[in-house]
Amino acid sequence: MKRTMLSVTAALALSATAAAAQEEVHVYNWSDYIDESLLKKFEDETGIKLVYDVFDSNELLETKMLAGGSGYDVVVPTGTFLQRQIAAGSFQKLDKSKLPNLKNMWDVIQKRTDTYDPNGDYSINYMWGTTGIGINVDKVKEALGDDAPVNSLALVFDPKNMEKLASCGVMFLDAPTEMVPAALTYLGLNPDAHDKDSLDKAEKALEAVRPYIQKFNSSEYINALANGDICVAFGWSGDVLQARDRAAEADNGVKVEYNIPKEGALMWFDQMAVPVDAPNPDGAMKFLNFIMDAHNAAAASNYVYYANGNKASQQYLNDDVIGDPAIYPDQETLDHLYTVTPFDAKDQRNLTRMWTKVKSGT
Amino acid sequence: MLRRLTLILIPYLWLLALFLVPFLIVVKISLSDVALARPPYMPQLDLAAGLSGLKDFFSQLDLENFWFLTSDDLYWKAYLSSLKIAAFSTLITLLVGFPISYAMASARSEWRPTLMMLVILPFWTSFLIRVYSWMGILSQNGLLNSFLLWTGLIHEPLTILNTPTAVYIGIVYTYLPFMILPIYATLEKLDISLLEAAEDLGCSRLTAFWLVTVPLSKPGIIAGCFLVFIPALGEFVIPSLLGGSRTLMIGKVLWEEFFNNRDWPVASAVAVVLLLILIIPIILFQRNEQKNREAGQ
Amino acid sequence: MPQTVFAPWENPDEKPLIQFRNVTKRFGDFTAIDNLDLDIYTREFFALLGPSGCGKTTLMRMLAGFETPSSGSILIGGQDMAEIPPNRRPVNMMFQSYALFPHLSVWDNIAFGLKREGKDRGTIETRVADMMRLTRLEKFARRKPHQLSGGQRQRVALARSLAKAPKLLLLDEPLGALDKKLREETQFELMDIQEKTGTTFVIVTHDQEEAMTVASRVAVMDEGKLVQVATPDRIYETPNSVYVADFIGDVNIIEGRASQSGDRVLVSWAEGTTPLVAATEKHLSKDQACYLAIRPEKITISETEPDTANRLQGEILDIGYLGNISTYHVKLPTGHVIKAQSTNTRRIARRSFTWEDKVWLSWTDTAAILLER
Repeated sequence: MKRTMLSVTAALALSATAAAAQEEVHVYNWSDYIDESLLKKFEDETGIKLVYDVFDSNELLETKMLAGGSGYDVVVPTGTFLQRQIAAGSFQKLDKSKLPNLKNMWDVIQKRTDTYDPNGDYSINYMWGTTGIGINVDKVKEALGDDAPVNSLALVFDPKNMEKLASCGVMFLDAPTEMVPAALTYLGLNPDAHDKDSLDKAEKALEAVRPYIQKFNSSEYINALANGDICVAFGWSGDVLQARDRAAEADNGVKVEYNIPKEGALMWFDQMAVPVDAPNPDGAMKFLNFIMDAHNAAAASNYVYYANGNKASQQYLNDDVIGDPAIYPDQETLDHLYTVTPFDAKDQRNLTRMWTKVKSGT
Repeated sequence: MLRRLTLILIPYLWLLALFLVPFLIVVKISLSDVALARPPYMPQLDLAAGLSGLKDFFSQLDLENFWFLTSDDLYWKAYLSSLKIAAFSTLITLLVGFPISYAMASARSEWRPTLMMLVILPFWTSFLIRVYSWMGILSQNGLLNSFLLWTGLIHEPLTILNTPTAVYIGIVYTYLPFMILPIYATLEKLDISLLEAAEDLGCSRLTAFWLVTVPLSKPGIIAGCFLVFIPALGEFVIPSLLGGSRTLMIGKVLWEEFFNNRDWPVASAVAVVLLLILIIPIILFQRNEQKNREAGQ
Repeated sequence: MPQTVFAPWENPDEKPLIQFRNVTKRFGDFTAIDNLDLDIYTREFFALLGPSGCGKTTLMRMLAGFETPSSGSILIGGQDMAEIPPNRRPVNMMFQSYALFPHLSVWDNIAFGLKREGKDRGTIETRVADMMRLTRLEKFARRKPHQLSGGQRQRVALARSLAKAPKLLLLDEPLGALDKKLREETQFELMDIQEKTGTTFVIVTHDQEEAMTVASRVAVMDEGKLVQVATPDRIYETPNSVYVADFIGDVNIIEGRASQSGDRVLVSWAEGTTPLVAATEKHLSKDQACYLAIRPEKITISETEPDTANRLQGEILDIGYLGNISTYHVKLPTGHVIKAQSTNTRRIARRSFTWEDKVWLSWTDTAAILLER
């Protein structure tokens, strides 16, 4: 869902044999979100030149979509953003006759993404994941003892725990649409509530732990967690797992672990969609079909450590992906995962304002 | 005659195309209403509808978004906080930059180009990368803390990153050359015999500095302060990367209006007000420059 | 009561105001001042004269305190200046560039030094007004330096340096930036002011006429040494070396070998010529190398052979007409070119000599100065 911040738009020119009149497909995806050998494979199979750009925030993508004329054929917004952009008229309906690989998709995920895009008329699922708790195992145990509630929202929403964790560093996502549902879940309320009353309660819960939070940021926690600069991050599953791998590579003694909170966690979906003004919608269909191929989807997941919405690909997944409950949760955990819907303009303003107040005290 | 007219026209066309037209577009958006559409605001100018369409378009514009800015204390607090941060960091930059300029101007002349190069050198690297490096230096396990722990000056790592201190460090570091260069330019021109004359007439080194060097470098100091203050006021990258969430700056508020709330009209209104705030120092700056040019003749 | 001539340097009881004792100043390898001794007396108008690089400016800057001697000591009023910074010396300086503070008005420039002394407002105002009257600047009090002409700036600089009534005023090429006419006027003004204020002036200049005009004594410098220190007339009439004779005014130098008899010396100077005769108080050994210095105005030019000890015949090579006088360049059979001057008492049409005329040059045996170096 979300990777490094540095590469704002690093263009990858892939084909060495690009002729002037060659067919092109322009893809705009999250940074570090694909196995790059797949790009080469697509070009070899279709003869289409693939121009692959990356972005690092939904807001950035959304601004391009709302402004129009982005020049991209395939983009990858997250579900809630997708829904709003569909309403704004940013995307075109998919030509399902050109997508035979739709048969590979996983109905469990499809049912959930119907919230944002009924019937999958506009998008296909690329990856999905959860928002949960990343910890530096040793430091958290040092602060809270061996029975630290590492798989509970109480770890980050109970001021008693946070007070002890503050000295080793806690970061939260700088995304109210992720953090407010978590706060509501901790309070036992509907995580998808948009009303002022619920938001006020969530605000109180967040403000109670605010003094112990070092920073709200949606990308820095990967490195901070891996380096041992912080001991707790409330963030996205794949990012925390990436931090785990970086720490292991650096062999710096930092042991990172990702836990889905037992009270329930937000499940999110990154969907591939085609802008209404895409220059090459046919090419876009070819790319979507290519991604939905069981082998290709598996290769992508094996590389980025995120689950995909492709049932047929599961037989090709590595054991450390399909077998990791942090990536593919068991049924019981899955039942606890919830989805949220987008905020309308007025509620969004309340949410942003509340978030600013939580963060800055103003 | 025609040639002269073209020569005069070019800068005005430049100003028109790159400042006035974009500004008018921003003003227009600031008078519109937010909508779930592409682009996300109403009304859109439809030239095909002719004069009545134009009338209709203008009738839909209003100042609602500017009134909205007054309804929430967030905005004036953010403006005020930005002004405070910009003013304070300008002061620090001056305090750091002046001695550097002074040292450069008093260095042997064969050293000066090298020193000048060293001041300009950071510009050869991306600004973003330099700010990122500061994150590495200031973080809990960063270079600075490791060094201080190693020297034994501190026993617990200092929390600098994500505090206002880090924002000040970032702004001062980034804009220091803009302070050094104009001050250096005035100090370099300063006639040493003026200082000798002041000493000869009874000044100590220090009073000669206050009575001669400082007043004579005033144009450079003023230019430097404006060159730091104006961009620092709207600064967004440094507070978001180095500052904690408590560092409230108008640049960040603007970003949130635009990207999080998708409220382009309110974001534009914030930008228009920011520009109005900036126009005052910019005009003062222009006056100062003009005065210097006249005095120089 | 007889009027005494101002010559404190001849009075052994007089205490000098300034004393340089074995002063040497080096900049790296370069020796700017070489083991120099010099006394300057109260109320003197003392000129340091020499070509650029001779060390005269360094000498002055050491007096002001901007440079410190590498060895030796400088005393002002009997006090060693070694540890005294510029701002605490009883000395003020007028800079060559004037060094007026561009951000201050004329009034504030003049008042600058007085304010540093912490004088009360009334005293400062009176003193500044006095100085502005002295330098005729009353009308310009509110002007900034860049609104003044060169001559006005020069007067501001002078007023500013005099305002504190220093014991000693140093003037570094004070008139260098002015045109010739203004310079000459200002020279007399300077002398007038020096006399009125009774201040000791030390002036640095490379202009020998200026030094001769204003100074009570002139020190001619070369390569960090004093070559001669004397009153202007003595410097001119009895230079102690070819260097001084040549530096001050116009001179003919004839090189030769001496043979002395009493107070007369015969100088053999070229094959097949009669030796020249000069009176001297010096004692030269036989065949010692020596020089005769003869000022052009001391040479008489005539058509017929004169009846003097020193006479030479030659041909007019060139005539320089200067209005009041004319300079003749006369080529001798030996190849020497001698300059001679004569006053134009007659109208130009009646002048007796023209180009290529054969003429006689002559001078008395006391006209030429015999120099050993």
